[in-house]
Amino acid sequence: MTQDVEMKEQPAPSNSVTSTGPSVLQHLKEIASLVETGAYARETRRIIRAVRLTIALRRKLKASVVSSFLNFALGPGSEVSSYLPKDDEHDMEVDTATSATQAPIKHSVPELEMYCYLLVLIFLIDQKSYNEAKACASAGIARLKNLNRRTLDVLASRLYFYYSLSYELTGDLAEIRGNLLALHRIATLRHDELGQETLLNLLLRNYLHYNLYDQAEKLRSKAPRFEAHSNQQFCRYLFYLGKIRTIQLEYTDAKESLLQAARKAPVAALGFRVQCTKWAVIVRLLLGEIPERTVFMQKGMEKALRPYFELTNAVRIGDLELFRTVAEKFSSTFSSDRTNNLIVRLRHNVIRTGLRNISISYSRISLADVAKKLRLDSPNPIADAESIVAKAIRDGAIDATLDHTNGWMVSKETGDIYSTNEPQMAFNSRIVFCINMHNEAVKALRYPPNSHKEKESAEKRRERQQQEQELAKHIAEEDDDEF
Amino acid sequence: MDPQFTEVSQVFERFKAAFLRKDFETCNKLLSQLKVLLTKFTSLPPLFQKTPNAVHELTLARDIYEHAVVLSVKIEDQDAFERDFFQLKPYYTDARDRLPPSPQEYPILGLNLLRLLVQNRIAEFHTELELLSPSALDNPCIRHAIELEQSFMEGAYNRVLSARQSVPHETYVYFMDLLAKTVRDEIAGCSEKAYDSLSIKDAQQMMLFSSESELLQYIKEDHPEWEVKNGAVIFQKAKESTSCKEIPSLQLINQTLSYAKELERIV
Repeated sequence: MTQDVEMKEQPAPSNSVTSTGPSVLQHLKEIASLVETGAYARETRRIIRAVRLTIALRRKLKASVVSSFLNFALGPGSEVSSYLPKDDEHDMEVDTATSATQAPIKHSVPELEMYCYLLVLIFLIDQKSYNEAKACASAGIARLKNLNRRTLDVLASRLYFYYSLSYELTGDLAEIRGNLLALHRIATLRHDELGQETLLNLLLRNYLHYNLYDQAEKLRSKAPRFEAHSNQQFCRYLFYLGKIRTIQLEYTDAKESLLQAARKAPVAALGFRVQCTKWAVIVRLLLGEIPERTVFMQKGMEKALRPYFELTNAVRIGDLELFRTVAEKFSSTFSSDRTNNLIVRLRHNVIRTGLRNISISYSRISLADVAKKLRLDSPNPIADAESIVAKAIRDGAIDATLDHTNGWMVSKETGDIYSTNEPQMAFNSRIVFCINMHNEAVKALRYPPNSHKEKESAEKRRERQQQEQELAKHIAEEDDDEF
Repeated sequence: MDPQFTEVSQVFERFKAAFLRKDFETCNKLLSQLKVLLTKFTSLPPLFQKTPNAVHELTLARDIYEHAVVLSVKIEDQDAFERDFFQLKPYYTDARDRLPPSPQEYPILGLNLLRLLVQNRIAEFHTELELLSPSALDNPCIRHAIELEQSFMEGAYNRVLSARQSVPHETYVYFMDLLAKTVRDEIAGCSEKAYDSLSIKDAQQMMLFSSESELLQYIKEDHPEWEVKNGAVIFQKAKESTSCKEIPSLQLINQTLSYAKELERIV
């Protein structure tokens, strides 16, 4: 264990530590056999498990370990290993010399080959050698295009993901957009739903990276939809969907998607959840809701959400001056989160809240005072205030009437809310929410694919059928007895 | 020089001359001719082939489409504007790193924003806005459109109208006039809800009519439900629908039944 900890601290490839080499290699070999059995038995479950185990090993990988694993799995001198950084400890020349005799003997399943690509890719990304990673990913993808096996889907989707990641890390996401679209088409034709799901998300991410909301929405609305296969991909999808809808002013839908994304995300994905929460806070503010304090006090998020907390406070009070100072104070945070334009939209909500507060506190107030209280600084504040109030009345934000000749606003008595349908509607929406939550939880329950039925061998079947026949005979005899 | 390229530039020169003469009919004819000619260049979107002449061709094509957009404003054709703008857009987005920036870029982008505002396509307005860099947002042409949208949303209509005096570009006037009409309808809608009645003089001032008869004409055409009596416009309040004494029984039954069904499924 102590060795493991040490290795985490110095991820740079140091060839000095050889003692842990065998054990990691051993693990990798076990994983490889898992992949192979998965491929033969056509059980994607095993391959999923193999990928998961690899991620756990990720930090312990070393150039020497990876290259000796490649030699083991694919035979020395394979194409994949050329992407690895040259290792001094290993004498490559000797390996390539022997490979001529060994390589033909070893013909591995494509799953294993793809797994090797994936392993090398992950390793290269962790080593921050992104250009090599890009080359390796492209080669893997090119190889993958010729293979059409459903057992490959899991590995392929991971490969797509790291392919896009390696390009994102070097900042050339736009380059691969055409490729991703082509891959998505291939995946659709092959009914590779997991691949479709992953690629759709990668494409959305690609578009949103360049703020191309229009294209993203067009793709999203036209791409085939189906039941989600992977929870992570579904979370991402919801997040991107929420972002698109926010930009297109469909706040109610956006809120739902963003909250769902934040709820479904695994606890470990803190960064993702923070992003979701930030967007959700803004959307709720735009909807005229005030998020609860607990939203900002979630564990590990307090610091990141601080600017949004202060913003919420300003909107809650309805103070334009405070809102402006907060927006200026954290403008760098907001622009790095790319929420600046949304915050500009919020100004209107601040005015509305302020107006609502005024309308509740005063039964009659002059428009000049309204303008002063809202701190509208314009050449003609009274006329501005008048039309702003008029619009608020029309939109149903406040219940009041204007008197133009006297220049004042008269608030109406707030009616008894319980005499309307409002409580019933609120009750209904809550119940519907709970029921949906329950139904989704039921749907999300996973059962292993019904493998036990397929496994039933011919022998057992015969046995079972025999038993059934005997039983039937018994029953028939009993029936006869009765007569 | 490539003969095709010279041909296009010659036609374009004739187009520009006609444009200066304000002979828009000839312009339109030449423009459709130009558009056909442009399809022969392979360096233009969507192919973006890297031919040796690419930069010249792209610049020329961009120039042509920019003129086309301005022309559509002059002949007050919003559909043509939309078409031409979408053809122009790739030159600003996808060809950005191949071409020197155009001085016309921001005025035209601002114009497009204004068009979306006039047509009340606010979602698209914001989608376009996201594509602009922070430095672009400070450009007076873009700023103008953003501020208009804000005032429009807040309801500060007189700010929208006073913005007409401070247009950053002469082509903006057409859309600003259209916007004034939209604003008038908005004001009428708001006043209807917010006031019990208004004196005719005030109403005329608020809705920006130059004379009383214009206002009366407007009322007759667009809002026949308003009543003009004793020198005041009386708005017929929308039927008071404060409290509904009736119980919406059918809806209630449906809801309760669905709860029962769902609960049964759980238990």
